[in-house]
Amino acid sequence: MREKEPKILAFLCNWCSYAGADLAGVSRIQYPPNVRVIRVPCSSRINPLFILKALQQGIDGVLVAGCHPGDCHYISGNYVARRKFAIIKSLLEYIGVEKDRVQFAWISAAEGARFAQVIKKVTEKVRRLGPIEKLVKTRGI
Amino acid sequence: MQEVQRKIREKARNLLLAGSVDFVIGFEEGALLLRASPVFIHKENDVEKLIWDSFCENNLAAYLTKIGNKRVAVVAKGCDSRSIVALIVEGQIKREQIVVIGIPCQGMIDRRRIEKEVEGEILEVKEKSDEILVKGDSFEKVFKKEDYLYPSCRTCKHHNPVISDILIGKEVKERAQVDEYAEVDEYEKKSVDERWDYFNKEVNKCIRCYACRQACPMCYCEECFVDNSYPRWLEKGLDSSDLAVWHIIRAYHQAGRCVDCGSCERACPMEINLRFLTKKINKEVKNYFNFKTGLDFAIPPPLATFNVEDRQDFIDSGE
Amino acid sequence: MKKISKEDMNRFIQSLLSDYTVYAPVNIDGIFSFKPITNFQGIDLNYQNSKKPPKEIFFPQSETMFEYEKGKVTSAEKVSRKRILLGIRPCDAKANLLLDNVFAGEDYQDVYYINKRENTIIIGLGCRRPLSTCFCTSFGGSPFSRDGLDILLIDIGNKYIVDVVTDKGKEILTDKFTEASEEEVKLAEKIKRETEKRIKSEVKIEGVKEKLDTMFESPFWDKLSERCLRCAVCSYLCPTCHCFDIADEAKDSQGRRIRNWDSCMFPLFTLQTSGHNPRPTDKERMRQRVMHKFNYFIGNYKRAACVGCGRCILNCPVNIDIRKVLKEILTS
Repeated sequence: MREKEPKILAFLCNWCSYAGADLAGVSRIQYPPNVRVIRVPCSSRINPLFILKALQQGIDGVLVAGCHPGDCHYISGNYVARRKFAIIKSLLEYIGVEKDRVQFAWISAAEGARFAQVIKKVTEKVRRLGPIEKLVKTRGI
Repeated sequence: MQEVQRKIREKARNLLLAGSVDFVIGFEEGALLLRASPVFIHKENDVEKLIWDSFCENNLAAYLTKIGNKRVAVVAKGCDSRSIVALIVEGQIKREQIVVIGIPCQGMIDRRRIEKEVEGEILEVKEKSDEILVKGDSFEKVFKKEDYLYPSCRTCKHHNPVISDILIGKEVKERAQVDEYAEVDEYEKKSVDERWDYFNKEVNKCIRCYACRQACPMCYCEECFVDNSYPRWLEKGLDSSDLAVWHIIRAYHQAGRCVDCGSCERACPMEINLRFLTKKINKEVKNYFNFKTGLDFAIPPPLATFNVEDRQDFIDSGE
Repeated sequence: MKKISKEDMNRFIQSLLSDYTVYAPVNIDGIFSFKPITNFQGIDLNYQNSKKPPKEIFFPQSETMFEYEKGKVTSAEKVSRKRILLGIRPCDAKANLLLDNVFAGEDYQDVYYINKRENTIIIGLGCRRPLSTCFCTSFGGSPFSRDGLDILLIDIGNKYIVDVVTDKGKEILTDKFTEASEEEVKLAEKIKRETEKRIKSEVKIEGVKEKLDTMFESPFWDKLSERCLRCAVCSYLCPTCHCFDIADEAKDSQGRRIRNWDSCMFPLFTLQTSGHNPRPTDKERMRQRVMHKFNYFIGNYKRAACVGCGRCILNCPVNIDIRKVLKEILTS
């Protein structure tokens, strides 16, 4: 029987990483179909609760991507976000959530090929972990 | 201790008589042995209620966010004073409103450990300068204070209040060499599944009473994220996943704000090891952002600012 | 009166496991709770009282009322197996009777609660060592009260004296339960008398309701609520507190309706959709708690909603003592 395909949720910032994803699309660059995208104005829009709620709902892996430091459309959004990400990532790892379940990347609007590469890498890492069990809410939500 | 107690009463009386404050927040004798209870003194005749001993375990700064515009004097240990600084930095209270009665603290006694080490109920307690004598129906035992301090007191590096308008008591020698994060380091050596098992076991004791949140001076949000119904982040029951998220996010919200006073642990009726999460947060904040809560009025909270050179080794940046 | 040796008691419990779900005190890291056991060795009866009250056996903290999926509803109101609640203290057994007023009363019958109540046989364990915070005698109880129990066990050393209170309790007895001798019964009576004397804490409840009738606007509540942290420790650990919140957890066409404990000490408890909160500050909430237990409940059901178990006193993070509160009400 075919193994269950991992579900990846990607939060992409509108100005850089989402545009990068778009570029991958128009350039017809293939990448795994496991990813679903949620577009946010900036990587600093990400509340760690988004990540946790995703994991609770059975999402196997979460990717948060923003602009490279210095390129943020809102000047310093990704700098502030970087600090938040550092804390939530080390906390989740500390309590025993597999570290590849939550990943971060800086992807610019010009990096279409790189976007596809990141998605491939993330999907592979999550596939190796298997379906998520920890933190999953068993009913409702 | 008796001398400190006497001076607290004297200063409180003076403040109230002079009209410098509307009331004084301190400790009075607990209804139970091995306990003290927070008390609000409004009249100078009541200052005799104020005490000071090794059971004054609550962080009284937790009451400062509900004083409105009143002027208040508050008894503060080392950790409490850092909470006060943190509250001022976050704009929750004004420095002019508070008269800090700072007390250098030798550490508070872990009453739960003492209770667990005797057979039966404790019926009498006598506190001496470095010992606690307890008596029950069938036992009499002496505990050396410094061996029975709360875990947060054992690794404390700020026994002396960092701000005070009135300082009562002799300065305590700070333990600069103690490694506050030794337990965190030990824990990090465990495997992924071992860590999850321990975390899950602890949070599944939780009964969502929120005593930890209410006892914490930094949890002052008018609407806590657990009470949000739109978006509904969490359900209110005992589902294992919700319990985990509640504790993860509460610890996360303490980043750069927790002073490790231990009030959360002491308030928890289920005796959950809550500090094992916040200690990790404090360690990361110290190592990554070089910040410790409540020591400097001039430094903004770490998650409200940034440094261009901040760590990003965990981010795939294509390099 | 019957008797049974402690060894035979263990065997008896083990035998019950094949037909019943047995809830008994389990010791996890020094904290006792009533949990379903799989083996009599999991039980630890060497305890004062459980941290969480056994009301959770009839009124769980989180209870699924029904689940639904694509239009098909599965109700969760019936238990799948008969149950035994073993080792409950007389104060908590009395508390269940108080809860019956609310959940199984004339006006309203809660099917979830009633189904659990009807399908549970309650075996109580009399208290040999009451604490200084116990005051059950002030509320019509005692360390060996039979109220609310099907069977009462009295520990007299290497055996239990077994007081069979109801027919429901009689039905499960086996031949291992033999007639107790006169000396043994006398010893049990002696232990009961002596233990009752050990309850020193006395709380006057007479006149409290009438006094509270006059105190709604009193500044007494401002003072009392000052140090309260507004957590739910007292409400959740109280064997008679019974407020709850019902929520729907849903996703697409599937979900469940779940009942969770709630506390009048939470600000959200009376928050209305308009944003108005008739109990806006700690003062109103503290007043509500005391009034409900010692005034409204007496008005409705002729009993105070308190059994003197002392859990609120032992676990309050700021050491508020309800006995002191009641005393101050009478003298204020």
